[in-house]
Order: sequence, then structure tokens, then C-alpha cells
Amino acid sequence: MGGLRDPRTARLIVFRVGVVLLAAVLIGRLWQLQMVAGEKYRLLADQNRLREVDLPAPRGVVYDRNGEILARNQPSFTVEVVPGDLPEDEEGEPEGSGDALVLDRLLAILARPVGEGSTAPLALDIGGSPTPAPTAAPAGGGKPAPTPDPRSVIKERDPWVMPRPEIEKKIADGRLGGAYRPITVARYIDEETAFLIAEDAVNLPGVQLVLEPIRDYPSGALTSHIIGYMGHIPEEQLADYQERGYRANDQVGLTALELGMENELRGTPSQETIEVDVNGRKVRVVGESKPAVPGYNLVLSIDLELQRAATEALQAAFDRSEGFTKANQGAVIALDPRSGKVLALVSLPSYDNNLFAKGITDEAYKALLDDPLLPMYDQAIAGMYPPGSIFKTIVAAGGLQEGVINANTRLGDGFDGANDGIIWVPNDFVPWDMSLAQPFYSWTHKYGYGHGLHNVRHALAVSDDIFFYELGGGYRDSFNGLGSKRLGQYASAFGLGEPTGIELLGESAGLVPTSKWKRIWYAESWLTGDTYNMSIGQGYVLATPIQMANATAAVANRGTLYKPQLVDYLTDENGDVVKPFEPKLLRKVPVDPRHLDMVREGMYGAINFPDGTATRVRVPGVVIAGKTGTAEFARDWNKDGKPDRDDKDNLPTHAWFTSFAPYVDPEIVVTVFVANGGEGSGVAAPIANEVLNAYFAAKNPPEQTGPADVPTATPEQPGIAPTPAGGAP
Amino acid sequence: MRVAISRRFDWTLLFLALLLSGFGILMIASALSGNEVLKDYPWRQALFLGVGIILMFVAAAVDYRLLTTLAYPILIFFLGALVVLKVIGTVAGGAQRWLTVGEYFLQPSELTKIAVILALAHFLSSREDKMESILTPILGFALLLPAVGLIFWQPNLGTAMVVVAIGAIMILVAGLRWRHAAFFGAIGAIGAVLAWRYVLADYMKDRVLMLFDPSKVKPEDLYNVQQAMIGIGSGGWLGRGLFRGSQSQLHFLRVRHTDFIFTVTAEELGFLGAAALIVLFGLLMLRLIRIAGQARDTFGMLIVTGVTAMIFFQVLINIGMNLSIMPVTGIPLPFVSYGGSSLWSTLIAIGLVQSVAIRHKKIGFDT
Repeated sequence: MGGLRDPRTARLIVFRVGVVLLAAVLIGRLWQLQMVAGEKYRLLADQNRLREVDLPAPRGVVYDRNGEILARNQPSFTVEVVPGDLPEDEEGEPEGSGDALVLDRLLAILARPVGEGSTAPLALDIGGSPTPAPTAAPAGGGKPAPTPDPRSVIKERDPWVMPRPEIEKKIADGRLGGAYRPITVARYIDEETAFLIAEDAVNLPGVQLVLEPIRDYPSGALTSHIIGYMGHIPEEQLADYQERGYRANDQVGLTALELGMENELRGTPSQETIEVDVNGRKVRVVGESKPAVPGYNLVLSIDLELQRAATEALQAAFDRSEGFTKANQGAVIALDPRSGKVLALVSLPSYDNNLFAKGITDEAYKALLDDPLLPMYDQAIAGMYPPGSIFKTIVAAGGLQEGVINANTRLGDGFDGANDGIIWVPNDFVPWDMSLAQPFYSWTHKYGYGHGLHNVRHALAVSDDIFFYELGGGYRDSFNGLGSKRLGQYASAFGLGEPTGIELLGESAGLVPTSKWKRIWYAESWLTGDTYNMSIGQGYVLATPIQMANATAAVANRGTLYKPQLVDYLTDENGDVVKPFEPKLLRKVPVDPRHLDMVREGMYGAINFPDGTATRVRVPGVVIAGKTGTAEFARDWNKDGKPDRDDKDNLPTHAWFTSFAPYVDPEIVVTVFVANGGEGSGVAAPIANEVLNAYFAAKNPPEQTGPADVPTATPEQPGIAPTPAGGAP
Repeated sequence: MRVAISRRFDWTLLFLALLLSGFGILMIASALSGNEVLKDYPWRQALFLGVGIILMFVAAAVDYRLLTTLAYPILIFFLGALVVLKVIGTVAGGAQRWLTVGEYFLQPSELTKIAVILALAHFLSSREDKMESILTPILGFALLLPAVGLIFWQPNLGTAMVVVAIGAIMILVAGLRWRHAAFFGAIGAIGAVLAWRYVLADYMKDRVLMLFDPSKVKPEDLYNVQQAMIGIGSGGWLGRGLFRGSQSQLHFLRVRHTDFIFTVTAEELGFLGAAALIVLFGLLMLRLIRIAGQARDTFGMLIVTGVTAMIFFQVLINIGMNLSIMPVTGIPLPFVSYGGSSLWSTLIAIGLVQSVAIRHKKIGFDT
């Protein structure tokens, strides 16, 4: 047993040193990683495990005044593939054969043609509806769906399916890291296909269906101009929206109330931090997660049934029209003169906003934009037209208020000696030479008679143009008229020339012309003839249907101009009222209620005097007041470079009718506009009649208008008795 | 005799070995917590440990001097096992390293290391007085060749390198002359260059390259190294807490119960825990070298040296890999990593060391 020689002992000592050195190096490196660079790695570890997840806030639902849903959130189906859940390749099969089995099957289902309505709607039981339960439908609910607008036949967006090579590549990429992160392979697939995929789940391991809420508009084209639609944030506004907390791919309201009420509808999205494992699967929520707050629901003052009745009446009028007066565009507005709340706001033609909810195809969008009838254009708020004779209510109110006339002042034909429906206006520059005078006609002229002399009440009832020419422009030295300046002032006082401020964007201001305006735009002086034209709502004055409805409301309620409002109140997710939208006063019209009563009487006469212009408007048990309008305009459909004229050499006309009812304590104003419709009395008034019928029929019982209900607010009411208040002007 | 054995038995070594093994079970339990498929692995490892302790005592009880005659047959037996493995071995992980026994896998290469240590110790001790001849180290390396070749052929570059390193240390400690060392150094350098160009498989080169230029490495290899760095780095002083390391518990770290168990330790127990583990290994190895120094004969001394070298290199390569200062190779951390074959071969090696310690020389006993 020889002792160990020195070199060995020495080498064992070196070995010891080696061991100590090893420990030192390893601990040193450990120190470097944990102590020196620890912060960095801690951060990286958190990046690994923590994910910020958006908690979207459900958008508010929109109801009409009776609880009918006008806009809600509807599930849309997205197909996802989870690479980690796809079947393993079979032994001996080529790589990817397991994936291929599933993909073959899935793509076959997705590619299968959609049945043309042959299959009954499939009830899908996937999760709860994201939409709050609608409040109980009002009595008489369950009406059939509106007749489909021909435009909704435009093909809906095709389902989007990722091309197969791309899917395979994504699956391969997914396997390398995050095999459980789903890959979206198809979007916007229809319910039927989604149902087939759900049914075939056994054969489709790794395939999952995801519900993504999209906006659904049950009333579709009926309320498109009120509700609007949503879409991606327009690129040029992206920065603004992002400043307000939006993400680049968020959907936002783009038109109408979806846009105007975006802040209320949107709610407060939230985020939560979740911890995920290496496969991206959620392990737990880190910290406190603030739940997303759903957007407020809008309850509109719109009555869907009235909206439907107005739409159908207007559409029926279009369908009846033909030839020279073929009408395709128009608007009907019903509002409550006591508050300015809008009950119906119809603009035709319309479009189906559901097209946008699914992401409209470029072709369909282009078709809508290129349509010459402008279905995307809201005639009711954006269309500017000569108001025609319904403007006379304003002229009458101004004339009475300014003392230009009083209730008994009689003007009209015969002022110039001949009762022929013509008035001759001297040339402004050579007034002494009547051979240069210009004739102005009343609408009766073409029927071969004149009006004679009328007081203002009767002049409104029979729509005596001569009376209003004279009231507005005066007549030679015999009578001093209101003048263009004061005409303009009163038009402005009744809300013309400025947007009404309804919650919809894109409202037009209309035009209240002045002599200065004419000088700037036409480089011409303002002539007496211009004042004459303006006095009967022709010439340069332009108004939107909503402005005329609102002006009518101010007459009906004897002087209060409200801002028209569509939203009645906001409710939160529990249905509790969050914010009522109180009536908003624009101004008190500077006309004495006594004078407005005179105008009201004139409007009463138009319906109820035997020689009124709209005597066929009748609602059983309700006294109605109204005013017809037939506004000439120039068009050139035959493209001969000259304004079109009919066989009697008349210019085409827009048909107007504005009305309120009941005569005592009016609660509804109905204004109808039919572009190129012809006579206001024959075309527009019947539409308003149908709307009023629908309104009062639904209101039941009809004894509302009985004398017992008459308050003392308006003492001298000729309308209490259904008999006309005599022809005595 | 029994009293003598128990008095001479190195309890410190046993204590350190059991401490490390027990620690390993704990870390395996933490690394695999929440894993339904592998949930019984900590218990399996405990079972392996129980069997391993018996094997250790058996090895300790056998007088190592009896093994002189058995050293070569044992080596031949394991070489044969490696050949069999190559022929009928289970294909797993691209490398044939396992023999299936029931539902367990056996890794003969682990035990082959012991056989190589015994054979080389026997050879070198028998040529103790011929160290002046360059033939001795050459023959010594030649003895390693079959084993190294077969393990490399599995392919298992890491273990093959460990076997070469063990041999080199044993030959060094046996009294390699410096001029011979220089010669082998030169041979080794040339060999390395040749091996790089002609022998090493691409994935092996990648793992070496990864150390010097991470951009040259395949992403799937780079991934786990980065995750390990993140795991270790985020540990801080005291760690994220046992069972609470996000990198381990959320499975960002792969093979965390075997090759990367040190990362789990560093992440969950922090600098203090991981440094303590390294210190424990240091103490164990110093204890082993002390036993080597007190060995009764050269054979015993070289056995212990071989065992120490085995643990040394495995710790160096495994923890070095965890800390990104060594290439990625499938070398387990002795005692700690999950795996019966590794644990058993390590415990058997400790048993052999005990056998040497029990029969140490008198002078050592008095000091």
C-alpha cells in the first residue's frame, strides 16, 4: 500500500481549486443574471405571462317610444382554428395529414352554397343573446315586417374565408409558439353554416365558433335615416378618435343617431390584465378588473308604427304617381308641437342600414352612392326646397304682427280692377309705364277665375297668392307691404335659414334671401318681383321639411319654437332612466299669440271651410288645421336645355302639406313633402291624412277632441264647432 | 466489523447526497405542479431515490478492490448494452438513449459512465509505475474510445464529452506528465477542428454556436435558453416562491423537471436558493476529493476522482447551460434532475466512493 506520491496530492489540490472556481463562476454568473439584470428579466417574465385584454362595452340599444327595438347587438359568427387542438398526424401519414382532415371538412362546409331560403331559420343555442330583452311590445305589436326595400336585395357581404395555404402557414407558425392561440379563418358566416359547423364539431377538433356582436337593425330601411349605421373610423378622423380612447379597428357610429349619440351609446370599455400560460390560455385575472360599462340605451320619441304608416303612405303616393309628376323622393315628419319631440321622420328612398352592420361590400356601397335618387340622403333634414304656399303662414304672422294688415284687412284680386287671378307689378325702374309691368299669377288663374278680396284668415284657407303678393310686396301706391327685409326676419324667427339642431348631422340651413345676398350671388338688385315670389314661398327662399314642420309647430303651439328632438331619454343597462331629454326651447317667436291664432284659423279654414284647399283631409272626431303648398321648381329631365313644362305649360311642382291636430291643444304636427309630386292638396295632403288617421286611431279613444277637453288657453276658437266659420272674410 | 464500517462510513457525504436528492424531488414537484400527465413524477423520483439508496448501500458494502477483476467485464457488458440499444432501442427525442423496461426507460449510457470510471481506474492503477510512458495515457484514452464512440453514436454528444472529460481528469490525477499533457492538448485541438468539420451533426454545432452567436441558432433552440434566462433573472434575491415561478408554472420553460431544473430553482428560490444549491455541490465535491486523497490505494483514489469528475462536469455543463454559459446538451443535473437512470448511477457512484472511504488508509483516519 504505497503512499500517494506528491504530484497526485498536488493535482487533487488543483482539483479542489477547480471545484471552488466552478462554484464561484456559477454563482458569479447567477449574480449577474439575478442581481445586475434582474429588473430586465422580471419585466420580460411579466411580458411573457401578462396580457392586456379588452373588455368591450356592449353598445346601447335603441328603442322607439313603445319599446320596439330599432337597433341592437346581434351575434355574428367567426370561425377559429386552434392549432394545438388539431388532431395528431396518423402513423405513416405525411406531415400535416391530421390538419388536412379537419381543414378539408371545414372548408367544404364553408364553401357550400347557401340555401336560397329553403331552410327554416335555425335556432342556434350558443351562449346568451348579448342584447337585453326587449321591453314588452305594445298592443298591436307583431306587425308584419315592412315590405322589403328593393335595395336590400343587394347582396350581403360574402363570408370571408382565409385561403387554405395561408391557413396552413398560420397553423405551422402557431405550432412553434402559442399553439393554443386561435387563428381566425372565416368571418361573417351565416347562421346556417355556423349551425352545420357546430353540428359537426365531433369531426372538427380544433375548430371553434366565436360570437362577435354586430349591430342589427330590426326596423331596417324604415328607420335608417334616423338610426344610421356604424363602421370603421374614417382614416382622417383616426387621430381624434384615438385621443378619445378609441382603438384603430373600433367600430363607431358613422351617420345619424349612431353618430350623433356615439358618446352615449358607446359605453366605457375596460381592460383586464390576465395571466396566460405558454399557450396563451388564460390562467387567471391579475389584479382587479373593472367591468366594462355598457352604453346607454336610447329611447326615442319616434313611434315606429307611425313611422311605418308615414313611410307606407308616402311610398303609396310614389307608386300612384306617374308621368310628368312621377315622384320618387319625399319626406314625412310628425312631431309633437308641445315639446318638439319627433314622432316620425321619414325620408324616401331609404336604404337598409343592416347592409353596413355586416360590413358592406364596395359594390353595394357604390351602388347606394351612385343611385340618382340618393337613398343615403335624408330629404327630411338635408333637402332644401322652395316651401311654396306653406310659407304663407309665416308671411301672415309677420304681416299681422307688424300691423301691415289686421284681421279684417282685405287684399287681393280687384285691387287692380280685374278679378282674374293676375296682378301686374310695375317694372322697378320704369314704374310709370305699366306696359312694362310683369304679371304675377295666382294658382286659380289657370282655372280661369280670381280670388276676389279676402281677409288673412280666408286668404290662408284658399291660399290666395294675390293676397300674399300684396301683403309681402305691397301694391304700387295703394298698399305698403311687409317688404323683403321683414319677410326675412320673420322667416328666420320661425327657424328658417338655420339648422334646427336635431340630433342628426348633415342638416341643411336652407336659405332666407336678402337683397345683399342677391347682390353677392347674382350681382343684381332685389326687385319687387323677388319679394312677391318670396311672399308665396317661391323664388330664392329654401327650407328643409323639418324646418317647415318646426315652423308649423310654432304656429300650432302659439309661438314656441322648440328644437326638434328624436331622443326622449337615456336608460342604463337596468332600464333606469339616466337622463331625460327635456324639450329645448329655441326661442319664443316674436309674434303675439293673438296673431298666431289668426294664422291658426286660416289653417283651420284650409281644411274646414267649404272653399279651403284641403277639404278632403278628414279624421273622424278630430279637428285638423293645415296648409297646402305647391312649389314650382325648374328641372330638365328631357335635357333640352330648357325647364320642363307639362302640356299646359306649367312648371313641375313639389307637393307640400303641413298640418296640426287637434285644432285645440295640438299634439301632433304632420308635414309632408313630395318632390315633383304635383299639387299639395291632391298629393301631399292625403299622405298627411293617413298619418293623422294612424296617429289618432292608435290613440283611441277618439273623444279626446270633445269640447270637454278644451282648456281656456285659446278662447276664441272657431274650430270648436265642426261647421265652417262662415265664408265671411 | 460492522462497527468499523459504520464508523468509517462517510456520513457527511451521505447527508449531502440525500439532501441534494430530496431537494431534487421538491423541485421536480414544483416544476411539474399542475401537470396532470406527469403529476406522479415526484413520487416516481422518490421511488427511484429509495431504490437508489439501496443500490448505494450495496455498492458501499462491496469491497471496491473486488471490482478490479470485474472492471473490464462490466465495461464490456455495458458496451454490449449500448449496441443492443442502438439496434432495438426505443426511438425517443431523435436520439436512442433509452431501453424500455415495462413503462420505465433505462438509460444505459448513465451506468456506462461508472463502468468506464472503474475500467479506467483499474487500468491506470495497474500502470501506476509506467506513467512516464506516453503509451499509458494513450492506452487510457483508447480504453475510453468504444464507450465514447457508442454514446456519441446514440447520438448523445454531451455524455460523450463528459466521458472524455472524466477520463482526462483521471489520467491527469493519475500522474500525467506535462509534456504528455501538451501533446494531448495539441491532439485535442486538432481533433476538435476535425470533429467540427466532419463529425458533429448540425444540431450539435448549433448548440455550440449558440454560445457565441445567438443569431445563428434555430429559434426553437434559442427559445428555451431565453426562457431560462428570463426565469433565472426574474428570481431576484429570494425568488418568486416555491410553486410560484411564472416561467415554470405557466410552462414558458420547457424540460423544466430535467435539464432546466436549475432554472426552476433560481426562479422560485432566488439567488440565495440557487447559490446554496451550487455551494452544496461544491461541498459534496470537496468531500469527494478529500476521500480521494485518503484512499487506501490508487485504484480507490482514481475511482473517487472519476466520480468527482463526473459530478463536476455534469454540474458545470448543466448549470452552465441553464445560465447560458454552456451549450445546450441533454446533461442532467446529478441528484436533482428527474430520471431514475441518472439518479441511480450517481448514487451507485456515491456508494463506490463510500466503499473506498470505508476502506481508507490508516493515516487518513487519524487526520
